[in-house]
Amino acid sequence: MNTVIDAHDLVRIYDKKTIPVYALNGVHLHIERGEFTAIKGPSGSGKTTLLNILGGLDKPTAGYVEINGTNITRLKGNELIDFRLHNIGFVFQSYNLIPVLTAKENIEFIMLLQKKPAKERDVRVRELLQQIGVADKANKRPSELSGGQQQRVAVARALATKPQFILADEPTANLDSVSAGHLLDMMAQLNKEENMTFIFSTHDQRVIEKARRVITLEDGKVVNDTAPAKLMHSSHSG
Amino acid sequence: MLIKIAWRNIWRNKVRSLIIMMAVASGLWSGFFLIAFYNGLIDQRIRSSIESEISHIQIHHPRFTDDYEVQYYIPSAEAILEKIVKNPRVKAAAGRVVLKGMISTTSGSSGIQINGVMPREENQLTQISSRLITGKYFPGIRPNEMIISEKLMKKLKLKLNAKAILTFQDKDGNLASSAFRITGIYKTVNTPYDEMNVFTNIHYLDTLAGISRQYDEIALLLHSGKDVETLKQQLRREYPELEIKSWIEISPEMNLLVSTSDQAMAIYMIIILLALAFGIINTMLMSVLERTREIGMLLALGMNKMKVFTMILLETIFLALAGSPIGVLAGVGTVVYAHRVGINLEQFSGTYSSFGYSSLVYPVLEIQQIVMMLVMVMVTAILASLLPARKALGLHPADAIRQ
Repeated sequence: MNTVIDAHDLVRIYDKKTIPVYALNGVHLHIERGEFTAIKGPSGSGKTTLLNILGGLDKPTAGYVEINGTNITRLKGNELIDFRLHNIGFVFQSYNLIPVLTAKENIEFIMLLQKKPAKERDVRVRELLQQIGVADKANKRPSELSGGQQQRVAVARALATKPQFILADEPTANLDSVSAGHLLDMMAQLNKEENMTFIFSTHDQRVIEKARRVITLEDGKVVNDTAPAKLMHSSHSG
Repeated sequence: MLIKIAWRNIWRNKVRSLIIMMAVASGLWSGFFLIAFYNGLIDQRIRSSIESEISHIQIHHPRFTDDYEVQYYIPSAEAILEKIVKNPRVKAAAGRVVLKGMISTTSGSSGIQINGVMPREENQLTQISSRLITGKYFPGIRPNEMIISEKLMKKLKLKLNAKAILTFQDKDGNLASSAFRITGIYKTVNTPYDEMNVFTNIHYLDTLAGISRQYDEIALLLHSGKDVETLKQQLRREYPELEIKSWIEISPEMNLLVSTSDQAMAIYMIIILLALAFGIINTMLMSVLERTREIGMLLALGMNKMKVFTMILLETIFLALAGSPIGVLAGVGTVVYAHRVGINLEQFSGTYSSFGYSSLVYPVLEIQQIVMMLVMVMVTAILASLLPARKALGLHPADAIRQ
């Protein structure tokens, strides 16, 4: 196993000038390749903020995040965007897909941004469409797909370029139980087959049950982490 | 991929996109029509001025145009004219005796320009006979025949076949007067010209002015306006002692007219393009605001700011491009039709003719003007997309996705 994410003493304060709100308050986190980790906690506990900071979508007020040895908190503008493009896969709760592109084009999108050759793109897209079980919907636009199918396509897109890890912000929140189950099974399978690192934020007990590591956040602090002791960097109190 | 996304994005809200396309089309249509209308108006004014009044080239004694003194006639004018009419570039040429003078009747008097003309040759040059509204064009019954305008006739309360006294200065500086009989009444589209010009037979007037068989002006009409400069230079080389001027030098106000109308057109174009720009800004801003989450997602996934900017730019260009063919077709179609039938501004003819314009306008549009207008619309669209694009670039992915 090797380290993918190393987060040190993350603090994120909103409304610093008025009434400071600590979205994160001293979070340490260490994620190894191939983990299937769920971040749980009540609303406002800091799950999305943590995911945003780990994904380079937001900057911590204090602390830093290293991904494969690169301190992403120091990256700015297009440098950061470029880092995300080549290293991180995202699955959002909703508005995940580009509405004007078909399922196949959505999966291909990041590979196109990375300027991968057409042949490589084509092979990978076909492979992923088969893996996620929507090969027959390849030419359908998101509006013609069910919520579950849309999320599978989003996972396939995140996976297409084999990033360092995939961040999923409540991926099952808008899905019925059957679709959520299928999505989780699929992600678990991809985690196993491709040794892909998945980090979820979730409220969903089904997701939590599937996770091999569960990090619990409360008031911006890690209050519980089921990770093996050797993975732990800091105390649960963060 | 960007092109594909941008093209498909503009069809997400069909009604809104169609409205902006129609705005582009109507902007182009009105732009084309305005340009063509002005072109027609100016072309007609210039053509009418050349073909009915000043001709393409005029030859004078170098001092004649200072004060229009008849003593400064063209030496050996008949020989020069004889040679000029043989030039293949020349369509028609005639000698004139031009005098500043006064027309008097019992009802009043008026300052005028007396044009002693060679009836046959002058008619080939300025086609006065076609502008007669009553009477005859130099019937040749009397030597003192005169043609005056309807405007002057009304001003001096004259009638056809009535007599009027013309007074002018002869070659020796003495005042000369003679009675002339009105044989024809003309009317052109240029009221100020009508009010100032009377025509008599040159062979009577030259004797009265003391320059028998001499001309103080030779006017030339060419087959093509493009030959004016060449022929002018050629004549200047052949007759260095004479003053040879092209129509634009004789009538600098024509040049002013062209540049003034260019300025007026530029102002109209700016107004049209500004209206278009605000329409595009509004549409694209709405489009960007509606897609805040989507743009945030694109930024999160790794689409860099330049690509997001290009996407917005392409969407705007596509909107403008999609509207352009309709605008070009409608604009060119309208201009072609209007060129064929003419635009009748009869109800404003008084205003138009007082400035020398015809009340029937035939719009004209040139290819380079179509291209220029299209380029201007594209540039406007690109400029108008900058604000929405800037708005999109200012989005913070984490905040945008949360919205």
